[in-house]
Amino acid sequence: MSQAASPTPKQKYDLNFARWVYENVDGGDRMALCMQCGTCSGSCPIGTQMDYGPRKLFMMIRAGLKEKVLTSNTLWNCVSCYNCVVRCPRKVPVTYILHDLATLAVREGYAEATHSDNALFAKAFWWSATKYGRTDERLVTAKYYFAFGMSEGYKRGMANMKIALGMVRTKRMHIGMPHKVKETSELHKILAKAAEIEARNNNK
Amino acid sequence: MSERNTGVYLCSGCGIGEALNMDALEKVSKSEYKLEPKSHACLCSDEGVGMIRSDIEGGVNQVIVAACSARVMTDRFAFEPNTLIRADLREKVIWSHPAGDEDTQMLAEDYLRMALASAPKINPPTPWIEGEYSQRICVLGGGVTGLNAALEAAAVGHDVLLIERSDRLGGWAVDASKRLPHRPPYAQPEENNIADLVAKVQGEGKITVRMGVTVTRTAGMPGKFAVTLSDGAVEDVGAIVIATGWRPYEAEKLGHLGYGASPDVVTNVQFEAMLKEGRPTRKSDGKALKSVAFVQCAGSRDPAHLPYCSNTCCATSLKQALELIETDPTTNCFVIYEEMRTPGTAEELYRTAQSAGVIFIKGKVKAVGSDLTVTVADELVQEEIPLQGLDMVVLATGMVPNSTNTMLPSEAGENPQLHGDVDPEAPIKVAGYAGEAPPAHERREQVVYEGASLLNLQYRQGPHLPVLHDGFADSHYICFPYETRRSGIYTCGPVRRPMDWAEAEEDAQGAVMKAVQAVRSAAAGAALHPRVGDLSYPKIGLNQCTKCRRCTVECPFGAIDETEEGFPSVNSTRCRRCGTCMGACPVRTISFDNYSVESLVTQIKSVNIPDEFSGKPRLLLIACENDAVPALDMAGIKHNNWSAFVRVLPVRCLGSVSLLCVSEALLGGYDGVMLMGCKAGDDYQCHFVKGSAMAAERLGKIGETLKSMMLEPERVVQVEASIADADRLPKVIDGFVEQIMAIGFNPMKGF
Repeated sequence: MSQAASPTPKQKYDLNFARWVYENVDGGDRMALCMQCGTCSGSCPIGTQMDYGPRKLFMMIRAGLKEKVLTSNTLWNCVSCYNCVVRCPRKVPVTYILHDLATLAVREGYAEATHSDNALFAKAFWWSATKYGRTDERLVTAKYYFAFGMSEGYKRGMANMKIALGMVRTKRMHIGMPHKVKETSELHKILAKAAEIEARNNNK
Repeated sequence: MSERNTGVYLCSGCGIGEALNMDALEKVSKSEYKLEPKSHACLCSDEGVGMIRSDIEGGVNQVIVAACSARVMTDRFAFEPNTLIRADLREKVIWSHPAGDEDTQMLAEDYLRMALASAPKINPPTPWIEGEYSQRICVLGGGVTGLNAALEAAAVGHDVLLIERSDRLGGWAVDASKRLPHRPPYAQPEENNIADLVAKVQGEGKITVRMGVTVTRTAGMPGKFAVTLSDGAVEDVGAIVIATGWRPYEAEKLGHLGYGASPDVVTNVQFEAMLKEGRPTRKSDGKALKSVAFVQCAGSRDPAHLPYCSNTCCATSLKQALELIETDPTTNCFVIYEEMRTPGTAEELYRTAQSAGVIFIKGKVKAVGSDLTVTVADELVQEEIPLQGLDMVVLATGMVPNSTNTMLPSEAGENPQLHGDVDPEAPIKVAGYAGEAPPAHERREQVVYEGASLLNLQYRQGPHLPVLHDGFADSHYICFPYETRRSGIYTCGPVRRPMDWAEAEEDAQGAVMKAVQAVRSAAAGAALHPRVGDLSYPKIGLNQCTKCRRCTVECPFGAIDETEEGFPSVNSTRCRRCGTCMGACPVRTISFDNYSVESLVTQIKSVNIPDEFSGKPRLLLIACENDAVPALDMAGIKHNNWSAFVRVLPVRCLGSVSLLCVSEALLGGYDGVMLMGCKAGDDYQCHFVKGSAMAAERLGKIGETLKSMMLEPERVVQVEASIADADRLPKVIDGFVEQIMAIGFNPMKGF
């Protein structure tokens, strides 16, 4: 995705933001082919938990409602089940588009994108995945809880203690050293290279 | 005709011999009808057919075959010109009733009796052929459809008279920019090649083009039409193809969409002409177009304007937007739609337009201001959105069929019954209607369309072609496309239903094939669809005629005119041989050589009616041979059983059923009569347009007659059957038998 800031529409159906999305977002060119059939929203297992379903979100992009789009929880609530992608009659990669829009929302500094529950959880998840090459339930949860501050983190941790112990007893969660890939240093090199390639592509 | 010599042939194949007592059947023929039957174990085999053929050589001139349904083995049992009568012992007897049963045997014997009894009433038809027949085909309209029709007719070897009211050929296409995609991959607008098409027609020797003239009078019938032109010329043609096309809906009526408020609100037809001249500019100030809104369904699918969808406007707007984007990719094109309708391959054009960046807004246009601000009630964003800064608004108006010539005034004393003489939408109420009654709906206002009739037909039933309720000249565009309700006159192109260029090309071919069939059949004295090849025609015994005019009024095809003395006069090649006139005639003086009230009543009376102490009722099922009989055959093929108390009498159309058939049946001791035919009403499926509607209307009047006979009106019902009803009909029949048993036996029995 381009590092340049996305344009903000001046009126409804000002196409500058929509066209920017078509050109810069992964899968955005296919999004132009969306015919608003709603198969994606109808297929979404957590559509009821979203501010707007994917269909409506795409229409809002066309209508130039940039801020509403980038502050919606739709981007963060997608669980990447790919039901919509499989079913879309126009082969729009809905999941990719939502993920890229989430990245855009973070980069453009929308508070909902950096401080909402989902955003903080995603951050904790990403932290574990990049640090260890694995997601460690205990550490991801801890990181997520304490992202709300020390006392809030403690409160949330204690509230879920019973569940945690049950999970330990049934070996769903372990105590001790975090899960790791064998060579974390190699993983870090791969990630650094990927970041380099992305930066190079973006500066083209 | 030479002496009647009837041969009777029984088949015991396909299980008939095992299920029935063949000796008893032979006895029916021998002792009751004094005809010696011949039996064969497989009558349709070479040996069986050979046996019949050698008898024909030996003098048999009428063949009765009691075997399978009359709808099968028609190639084996074909003995023209000798008449053939078929009794169905297979589909309607042994396949639909238990084998070895007393009632099944009685049923089979009755079907054989019906065939045997009708034999003396059935004569080989002599076709009506008189004088000269024209093989020339007249094409009315020189647009895309008409040009294609003319070329197609010439290609199959017919001379063509092409009539165009304006002084140029090509129609709307001449003023249009590109064409909609018509060949793979159907993704891009195509070059407009109308000039090539016009040149091809002008270079074709078989086509005579007459421009600047209209038809002022059309007399005659298929094979013998005399078409008078406005310059006085009279041309003989055999069939007429109407390709008068369409005109755009009047934009003046679309004030609510801003038409007239600004010169920059234009229709799609006007915009098309602008595109043809190059990239359009604003009409008001000549500025370049940077932002254009296309408003779909401008007056279409709107009960206050055109209630129907015109099929092509969505694709046309996509094409126009693409033409704009092609010359300047930064042009903002908005398509405001209620539903995008891109049938068939037009979907590819939709995808192209989406990829090219056309923006689609779903919703209704609330207002168009004189500053071109379009306010849309956006259905997807669920907000009312003003679109500002537009340079032009294009209204996608729909197509109005040219079922009349609006360039000329209506003729004086015109028949207002443009829709035909039976309102296709009128709810039909029938005494004892079995099954669900058709939903009643408000009768639409009978509109007289403005303008002169296209052909000014010299028919008893008026100068116009009857049209469907939205003004399209057709009879039934699903079951019988191209057919109008006037034989030998066919419609194609947008006068039949809204369509684009490529569809009109195909449509022209279809209608021309019909016209070719019409001229060739007319010269042979043979009927057209659906009784293709039938050589019989209605003969009227004028000495008994009371000049009541019911036949001339009720004929669905306007085949019967009136003489100056008020007598009916049949135009035989206009006739489709449905027999509606025969069913209408109160004095029963209309008959066909091989089909008459007498032949039907004889069959009804030939059935053995057991007395009420036997506990065996008898019901008559008068079934239309177009859908009801085949559906019953299919029920038999599926071995669906129904009551063996029912006797099926196939008829050409329920319209041909005289009330005498019903009253004779009840007088003869039948306990109930069911008429089974196609759907009547606005979405009729009657193959003769209004035969089943006429039957329903007549039956509606039988209640009084039944009362005077001291009979319950519930004993006579009419039911609808469609070709797909093989599973439903046996239940309907059994339900009727139960109903009649509940009422009790007919007290007339035994008198």
